[in-house]
Amino acid sequence: MNGFAGADLAGTLATWVAALATIAVWSYLTGARRLFVLMQHLLAGLATGYLVLLAIRDVLVPRLAVPLIEHPADRVLLVPALVLVGMLVGASWLPRRLMAPVAGILVGGIAAYALGGAVVGTVLPQIAAALPTTGAASPDLVGEVISLAITSLVLLAFLHGTPRGRLTTRAAGVGRWLLVGGIGGWLGFLVVSRLSLLVDRVAFLLGDWLTVLR
Amino acid sequence: MTNSVAPTLVSEASLARLRRAAPALLLLLALALASLLSGSTGGLRLASPDRSHVDQLRRVIGELPSGSLVLIAFDADLGTYAEIRATTRAAIDDLAAHGVRLAIVSFTPEGRAIAAAERDRIIRAGSADPPADLGFVAGSEAGLVRSIESIVPSGAAGETFDAVRQRGGGIGAFDMVLVVSGSDISARSWVEQVGTRLPGLSLVAIAPTFLDPELEPYLRSGQLTALLSTLREGVAYAQAVSAGSASGPGPTVGPLPMLIGMLAALAVLAEAGFRRLGRRGRRPARRRARP
Repeated sequence: MNGFAGADLAGTLATWVAALATIAVWSYLTGARRLFVLMQHLLAGLATGYLVLLAIRDVLVPRLAVPLIEHPADRVLLVPALVLVGMLVGASWLPRRLMAPVAGILVGGIAAYALGGAVVGTVLPQIAAALPTTGAASPDLVGEVISLAITSLVLLAFLHGTPRGRLTTRAAGVGRWLLVGGIGGWLGFLVVSRLSLLVDRVAFLLGDWLTVLR
Repeated sequence: MTNSVAPTLVSEASLARLRRAAPALLLLLALALASLLSGSTGGLRLASPDRSHVDQLRRVIGELPSGSLVLIAFDADLGTYAEIRATTRAAIDDLAAHGVRLAIVSFTPEGRAIAAAERDRIIRAGSADPPADLGFVAGSEAGLVRSIESIVPSGAAGETFDAVRQRGGGIGAFDMVLVVSGSDISARSWVEQVGTRLPGLSLVAIAPTFLDPELEPYLRSGQLTALLSTLREGVAYAQAVSAGSASGPGPTVGPLPMLIGMLAALAVLAEAGFRRLGRRGRRPARRRARP
């Protein structure tokens, strides 16, 4: 059914392991904690092992070690990267004053990418897309006005601790309810999403493992 | 005469545990039965009747000239991929049917695991031209930006890799990118980091339902060319793609188990609501009882 495991011995074995692991996780429903905890440890161990292997095989060796060994003169910029890797590996032994700038550069770099992308790629284009078009009548003027009103009211709901009049307080209250409604809608999406995953797992047990479902 | 306690097969604690687990176990049983009966539910349809998103994606893929380069950015989560698996496979089949050259890349470790498994499946199915494997690119969003300049691994050899190198070697070499979204690197990251740097590149996305409210505005603003982000749209798309082929749409989630699950969720919601109302109804009586 899910097609990941083949019909050979390895595939059959993988299907059995996946099916038994699924049942072991579901055993938590009956209060059997030990099997569930065992599965948690198995997942954590496998994930860690996979990440380490991926980092060594796909990143550190081909993109750092090999270029540095084969063409050291052309890859001078990789030397600071090697130093960074060494510092991150030995972070628990190195003094905090030495590690703080390194961590700062890493966090700052990630934040700059995320923030820059959010402003240029989301905030500005979305504002531009939400603005009513000039000239000819907008095809969805009512929708745009409703969107503007809802956005304004929800933004008002975030005015915590600021002195406000009765009108603003009421508007903020409406905004809070709109926010709750929005979160409720998202929760509904989430229920459908998670339910489909549960149904898929049941279908895996019946189809791939027990082969009673075709 | 002796006082003897009758031996019990199941202890009180075990019984209490089973009683607590009964609703969940019953739900699992009901879902299993519904899955078995799902093939004979003629009146129920999970596929969305609104085909606008499906038609949009089919049109974008249909307009690609034969031999185009399409990048599949596989960054789905292990936890939610099952929801979009059938849709993603249908999209890969759709692209292959239009004669495009495919390449797969991942920017998350989880996505890489799924991409490798999917590529193995395609090879096992006997595909003559499986997607070229661009591997895993580290660095999350920074890696995404770096890939705009260069995405082909240095030692990679093959027709598709050469075609990408001839067109510059970066993401811009592709005619379209199909983003298989997860929570870490989603279509949003592509819009923000790649869409702003390569505005002419066509970005289409397949995403699990929980990402729909986040991604829908990008489709409305035109930053995404097409988007399938609900289960019903995915099923409708898989059916539309399979309609023109000899094979069926492949295994998709059945409508009956979904209906039973949703009814169970509504029952839980209603039960919680009634319990709350009941508690509120009892409160004044308690207050009155106080001296």
